[in-house]
This record gives sequence, C-alpha cells and structure tokens, in this order.
Amino acid sequence: MVDVLYIEDNPNDADIFSRLMQKLNRPFTYTVMDSGSEAVDYLTGQGRYKNQPHSLPKLVLLDLNLDGLSGVEVVQQARSIDRTRFVPIVAFSTSDSPRDIKSAYEAGVNAYIVKPGSYQATGTLLSKLCDFWLENNARIDTK
Amino acid sequence: MNSLPVDLTNCEREPIHILGHIQSHGYLVAIQPDTYTIVHVSDNIAELVGIAPTQLLGQPVQALLAETSVPGNTLVELLNVGCRNDSWDTMNPNRVTLNGQVWNLIIHQYLGLILLEWEPSGDERNALINQQLLAQALTEVQSSRTLVDLLQNTARRVKTIIGFDRVMVYRFGADWHGKVIAEEKDDDLEPYLGLHYPASDIPRQARELYKINLVRLIADATSTPSKILSDSDWPSDRPLDLTHSVLRAVSPVHIEYLRNMGVQASMSISLMYRGELWGLISCHNTTPHFVDYPARQAAKFVSQLLSAALEFRKDEEDKTNLLQYTQNGQRLHEQLIFTDDVVRALVKSPVTVLNMTEATGAALVFNDKVYQLGQTPDEADIRALADWLPTTDTETFLETSQLPNLYPPAEAFRDVGAGLLAIELSRELKEYVFWFKPEQIQEVTWAGNPDKPVTVTSDGQQRINPRTSFAAWIEIVRNTSSPWSEAEIGAVVKLREDILQVVTRQANEIRLLNQRLQVAYEELDAFSYTVSHDLRTPLSSIRCYSEILLEEYGAELNPDAQALFQKIIDSTDRMRSLIRHILYYSRMGRTDLSTEKVDMRQLLEGIREEIMVTAKDRSLQIDIGETPAISADPTMVLQLFTNLIGNSAKYTRLTPKAVIQVNGRQTDDEVIYSVEDNGIGFDMKQAGKMFDLFKRLENARQFEGTGVGLAIVKRIINRHQGKIWFHSEPDRGTTFSVAFPLTTHA
Repeated sequence: MVDVLYIEDNPNDADIFSRLMQKLNRPFTYTVMDSGSEAVDYLTGQGRYKNQPHSLPKLVLLDLNLDGLSGVEVVQQARSIDRTRFVPIVAFSTSDSPRDIKSAYEAGVNAYIVKPGSYQATGTLLSKLCDFWLENNARIDTK
Repeated sequence: MNSLPVDLTNCEREPIHILGHIQSHGYLVAIQPDTYTIVHVSDNIAELVGIAPTQLLGQPVQALLAETSVPGNTLVELLNVGCRNDSWDTMNPNRVTLNGQVWNLIIHQYLGLILLEWEPSGDERNALINQQLLAQALTEVQSSRTLVDLLQNTARRVKTIIGFDRVMVYRFGADWHGKVIAEEKDDDLEPYLGLHYPASDIPRQARELYKINLVRLIADATSTPSKILSDSDWPSDRPLDLTHSVLRAVSPVHIEYLRNMGVQASMSISLMYRGELWGLISCHNTTPHFVDYPARQAAKFVSQLLSAALEFRKDEEDKTNLLQYTQNGQRLHEQLIFTDDVVRALVKSPVTVLNMTEATGAALVFNDKVYQLGQTPDEADIRALADWLPTTDTETFLETSQLPNLYPPAEAFRDVGAGLLAIELSRELKEYVFWFKPEQIQEVTWAGNPDKPVTVTSDGQQRINPRTSFAAWIEIVRNTSSPWSEAEIGAVVKLREDILQVVTRQANEIRLLNQRLQVAYEELDAFSYTVSHDLRTPLSSIRCYSEILLEEYGAELNPDAQALFQKIIDSTDRMRSLIRHILYYSRMGRTDLSTEKVDMRQLLEGIREEIMVTAKDRSLQIDIGETPAISADPTMVLQLFTNLIGNSAKYTRLTPKAVIQVNGRQTDDEVIYSVEDNGIGFDMKQAGKMFDLFKRLENARQFEGTGVGLAIVKRIINRHQGKIWFHSEPDRGTTFSVAFPLTTHA
C-alpha cells in the first residue's frame, strides 16, 4: 500500500521526485509509474493488478503530458469507475496554459499545480502537498 | 383645332388619320367587302361619275358606273379578283378610262372596308425614264460610296423622277429634331442644307403614319379638300380611317406650315432603319404639282433601296467598331487573367481601358487610387465624381453625353469631360472606371426659332401656330459631347463583368488565405505550447540537477566550480523567463479581446504591491496619481502595466532613491496613462528600436531582460487601437505614455 502515486514518464522528473521524497524524511510511502495505462490498471485492479487487492493511494500526482494514455484520459477513466471516483488526483504539469488547466479540471482533477522548475521550489511544494493531502485532507474510503 | 385646349402638345393630338377629307385631285369611294355596298363617298364624286354622292350612298358599287361607258360588272370582277386573292397591292394601279379620261384606280382594304381611290394618271412615257433611274439607283447603292454622296445622289434621282424644285434628305436626331443633310434644288431657291428643324415640326402621330405610308403626296396645298360623306346608317363615331389612303387630306396646321414656307406641293418619302424612322426625303414645290402613282412608286423604291443600304452600311460600321472593342475587350480580359492585377491589366498594359471606346480620356479609381489615361479631368475632380456616383441610382453603369446637366461641377472640366461613361466596380469602396469625351460645341442652325409661339386669335382663343419665319436661327449647344454608341456601352458592360470576376476570385483567394492563416495560427498556438513545454522540461532537469549538485556535493566543490553551477542555474532562469515571454507575446496577438471597464486604482495598487515585495532591499517609491477607468481587456492591461512599471523598477535599480510616478487623465476621446521614472533613461536616437522583438538598448545590458516585454506592451496597445509613446534622456529617466480610446472595437 502506498500513500502517493506519481504518474510521470520523464525519468528525470521521476528521479527528482524520488530524491525529494526521500529527503523529506517523512513516513509516507510512494511509487512512481511511467505510464497512464499501468496506473489505471493499478487503481482499478485490472490487468496485472487483478486479484491483488490493495487500498487506494491517498494522493495521485499526475503529469498530464504522457506518451500513450494522456493524463486527462487517466483522470477520465478514474472518474468513471466507482472505486476511484473520489480518489484525490492533482495535476502536476509544466504547462500553465489556461486550456490545459481547464481540460484537466473538466476531467475531474482536484487541483492543478504547475511544476516549479527548480529543485528547491519543488521540494518546498512536495512538502506542502504531503502535509495537505496526506494529513489534512479528509477522504472517502470506497475500498 | 380651336376646340382643343392650348398646350404645346396640340399638334401631337391632332387626329390626322381621320380628318374626314381627301385632297381634291382625286375621288374616294368606300364599300362593304361582303355586299359591295357603298358606305362612304367623297363629296366631289360627281365630277368623276356624274352622279351626286347622296344618290350613291347605300347603293351597290355597280351604281357608280351607271352614267359611264364602262359596264358596272368590270369593277365587280376586279373587286372579286382582289377579294379572292386577298391582295390589292399587285393590282394597283388599275388604269381605267372614264368618259375619255384615263385614271389610276388604287384599291386597298383596311378596318373592314374596301377603299377605292381614283387619281389622274400621268404621262405614260415617264415610266421608261423611271425604269432607267431605278436601275441607276441600284448601281449607285451597290457601289461603295460615302453616305453623304449616296444621299445626295438619291436626292438628285428623286428630283428627276418627281420633278419638284427642291428635294431634301432630312435626318432625325435622337430627340427627333431633324437636320437637312442632303439637298437638290433649283438654283433660284435659298439653300436649306444644314438647317435643323425642331421635333415638333413633325409630331409623333405623323411620324407613326410615315412608318406605315412610306410615300405621301400633297399635290396642291391651296386647293379646298373634298369632304367624305357617309351612309345615313353609318355610326357617326366611326369616321372613315384614312391611314392607308393615297388621297388623305392634309391637316390644316400642316397646310399653314407649308404656306408659311412658300410651298404649294410637297411629297415625303420615309427612310427607315431597323423599323424606325431614320429620316425623310422631303420634296417641296412652289406651285401645285401632282406626281402620279407609278412615279411615286419609283421614288418609294429608291428610298427603300436607300433604307436597305443604310441598314447595311450602319451595320457594317457598327460591326467594325464592335469587333474592335470586342477584340480589345478580349485582350483586357486576358491581361486580367494573366496578371491577376486589375490596375496593371487595365491601365498599365499594351491595351488599356482607353482602347475600349472612342473616349479621349479614361480613369480607374481602384483601391483608393486614381489612374488616369489620355485627356481626363484632374484627380480631385475624378475623386469627386466617384463620391457623387454612389448618390445617383447608377447600379452597373452610367452613360451621358451631357454630364454637366446631371452633375453641375462637371461644367468646370467640360473641355475634357462633357460626356461620361462609367462602370461601377464597387459602390461601397467607390471604385469605378470612367471614360470621358470632350465637349463638342455645336452650332445648331434651326429653320426658324424652334419655340413655337402661342398666338391669340381674333375670337380671343389661344392657339399654337406653325412658325411664320424659317430664317436661320442659330443656337449654341454647350456641355454636350458626341454620344456613346451601343457598341461602346456593350463593350464596357462586358468589361465590368470581366473585372468583377477577377476581383471576386481574388476576394475568394483572400478568404481562402485567411482560412489557411487561421489554421496556421492554430498550429502555431499548439506549437508554442508544445515548444514551451518541451523546452521547459529539460531546462527544469538542468536546473534541478545543478541545484542537487550544489546542495549535496557543494562541500566537495571549490568556489570556482560552485560559481559555475550558479551560472548554470541563472542561465536556466533567464531561459525560462524568455520562453514564458515569447508565449505571452504570441498569445497577445490572437486571444480574443474581452473588453470591460477596468478599475485602474485596484489594478495599479496590486502591481505596486507585487513589485515592492521583490524590491524590499532598496529605496523604491511608486506614486499612483489619478486613475480614470479604461475600457480594455483586464488580463492584457495587467500585463501591460506590469511590464511598464516592472521596467521602470528594473531601470531605477541603480538610483539611490528611485521614484516611479503613475498618472492617468481623460481627454475627450481617450484615457492617457504615463509611467515616469528617474532611472538610467536612454538615448532617443535608439528609440526607433524600442518595441522591436528581442531588441535591447545598449545601456540596458547590465539589467536582466529578454527584449520581449515592450514588444508585448506594443502588441497589447495595438490590439486596443491605442497609442504608445515615450520620452527619455540618458541618466535622467524615462516617461512612457499609453493612450486607450474611450471605445474599443475588437
């Protein structure tokens, strides 16, 4: 069982995320998946995650610009299934285009964060994110 | 005549085809075609048959010949032949001898009655002379001569055939006034050649009769006409129609006209062109003169030959012109298609619009420019003409040979433009092609003053008299050009279609280009986002890893290596900022303006707060004065003032006490804001590059910047149809001013 699921196909961003999570030195668990379809399988218990019951992550951090299944499509699929309908999904993207922000919200994200582009700033941001989503945010547990 | 009210159309109303009289040199009888019963006779009939007219009315036609040596049945048989064949023309004239005298009997049927008319026969020997003349006339027409020669010779032949002392060829103008264009006369007579006659001399209904009766003789204008008597049963409201009668009496008005002219016999032969009256051969004799039927037929034949020749020649002439215009029009069309450039094709190619007509000048008003060819009015006059035309009801073309009468200012340039032919290319854009013809000052010599005088008769009634003086009366006709022919008008109307086709095609091409531009913009839009995203991602990696290196391995690096890493980090910062600004710049060009009233006080204070946060380590004061609201796109205005005030903050960084003053004021039609600082300023000589993308001024190098900020500002101002200007002195500061119109059209 993981607290944070980060869906990111850029290995550098994934690496920086991992480094920062470790550096936070907090008890949260996390995992990084590099494809949208795998993440959907994981969240919905399909494909190779079939018959491997696990609880949902407390936060899904989602890059929008993914090869294959796009971030927006991941959100759409997650929102169409009862189990994952209310799982917190935060878009985490380089783009600050109003159009991208709008389409992410339309698909059903809970928040939209533009990647800060700096190590320190990203670290600060992740720390805040974990505080809020893993500790302060009240969730609906659908099992 | 006296019973009619007086007005200048009196002559036009005179019912000349039912005057109820015939000329006294002949005799008339009208019979019913089915019963041959006599229903009308001329009062003088007793002279011919020795029976009183009243005794003949209601009798069978045989009764007519009862007192003569000719058996009545001869006439009946003749009528039977005519009725059977349903044709009389081939039988006319019938030579009949009554009581030792030879007469020509001319029969025709009209409006349900058969009319029999006897008139004197002439000398039989003339028939041979006439045959010769006709043969000569035919040769004449066949040989190619000028029209004037042809008419002159025709006049001479007609004079020989009928023996009058004056034969004129009289041509009608477009307004039906006539001009003597050929004349053959006895030497002692005063010449009428070249004289003009007003249209009212030959009223409309007379012209109609001239088209039906091609030959018309008045043998003796001084004789008393003979009245037509009708059967007692005949309805009085149906007088005998003499339209086709050869003896029809002459209207008293016309008799008076002839008398005033000193003419006692007259004959006219119609000249027709395409079914319309083109002119008349008008013959005058000072004494009574009878022309017998065969001679009249010979004269008529000559005139018909001439009519045919006219038609042929005029057609040839028109065809030649039309061919020329068509060929030139074809060339212009090819030039239009080939160059796709209306101006070049029409006025800057071997064949121009000037070759399309007989005009001496032409002008093209297109795309707000005036192009002149040949003799034309001034450019200003042409522009004024293009302004005037849309106010007329001209829709496709306008044609006039008297422009100053339609458009008084044209009097100023009548020497080059008394005649105008114009085609409309676009009424909205005031685009036209004009052709000009110069004024032709015409000296028109009228045969007497053409304005008929109204006189008061002894009984106090007013009436219009034929003129009593035919002395030459000269009128100068001004403001008039030679007319535009149908070939000219046809050619330019076709040209208009050709031009419009090209213009429409170009408009469609522009529309297609617009669509493609729209697609290109959308692609560029997507491209901008992709580029900014794809560039920013590796840039973030570079920066993050540099930071990680500094943070985790900094202790192991010497100060030089640390400084180098810091440079990498700073460079990524600048690049991020550049990418962001480029994106803004491209967005400002395309996103829709959503104009609203912007609360400037709130907006400026927000910007001040943000700038003051980053400037807390130095002395910076931002004063906000008057803040009138503006109508603008709030996002763009925020960007604009953030850039302007941000620039001021940046370029005052070295100033010990930096002061920025922002102030707004409203004028009648705009709101002007100025942002003034006491920073480094710049040399106004470099001001021309101020708003160029990526251009930075020399003394700004030490400050961070991308060279995009002011370009964005300029673009925003342009989108709002506003203005931006500035004043600066090196080391004394800079003032930027921006003006927003009170109402913005997106």
